[in-house]
Amino acid sequence: MQVYSTPKAIKENSNFTFCPGCDHGLAIKTIAHVIDELNIRENTIAVASSGCSVFLYNFLDVDCIESPHGRACAVATGVKRAHKAQGNNKFVFTYQGDGDFASIGLAESMHSALRGENITAICINNTNYGMTGGQLGPTTAMGQITTTSQNGRNREYHGFPIKTAEQIAQCEGTCFSARVALYDIKNIINTKNTIKKAFEYQNQNLGFSFVEILSSCPTNWKLSPKESHEKIKTELSQIFPLGVLKDVKND
Amino acid sequence: MSYIVLDKNKCKSCYLCTDVCPKELIKKSDEIGKTGEFIVKFEDKENQCLGCSQCAIMCPEIAITEVHKE
Repeated sequence: MQVYSTPKAIKENSNFTFCPGCDHGLAIKTIAHVIDELNIRENTIAVASSGCSVFLYNFLDVDCIESPHGRACAVATGVKRAHKAQGNNKFVFTYQGDGDFASIGLAESMHSALRGENITAICINNTNYGMTGGQLGPTTAMGQITTTSQNGRNREYHGFPIKTAEQIAQCEGTCFSARVALYDIKNIINTKNTIKKAFEYQNQNLGFSFVEILSSCPTNWKLSPKESHEKIKTELSQIFPLGVLKDVKND
Repeated sequence: MSYIVLDKNKCKSCYLCTDVCPKELIKKSDEIGKTGEFIVKFEDKENQCLGCSQCAIMCPEIAITEVHKE
């Protein structure tokens, strides 16, 4: 009996172009499993952003649209509203990195949440700008060494990191906000269930749903894939606590 | 007999699957993959594989494409 198979929402013969051990592959695979389970592949429009997350449309077998840097939530708003005006209720989600969602596109992201746009945003938080060489990003932890903070992030010069899931949870239009991780099997399954919940909330027209995924960047952190997962488990999940921060059905 | 299907062309030698296998059936092979590192191999001479799918869930490259359980 076959107990596991490659998700149908992943294109056939596609090879991920991410670095070895990068959690982007796990995140895309998890999203593909959820799309399969909810059977929404034919009705989904994904919005990719700039950064490593841009490769989404090479691998995911759904309709994809590429947005300018940081503007994925704005593009998703347009896609959702234009289709709704024509009577089509499309399923729309964005797939963004932390630099895209929380720095360059903070206004678009935050105001989409405040408007309560009926879209789902997935933010991959790897605490740096991964594609351009690991520069200091908005979510870089205090003391973390990056190519543009050689002595570690400090309070005087760089200020504090943004806790995206908490900020989005405070917006009144948000129906669901959670932070999850992918460092072990338990958390991968939890991530899958959380994304499924966020997707279901969009189908129920409850408002803006948001999932932040703590992800590894072994190349720029200069650690092995195993050590990167250990770092998320021991260090990053202390700074960015995992869990559901807002859930309109339970509040 | 439980077994996995491993696509050698997709393996990028991150070795995350070797850590999660409860029976330690996935090991480094002596074959060099596309990243220039040794790729993994699946060896199950004593039919120990449980079909638990943990390696497939953990693989970021979807190199473990199928898991069959008896």
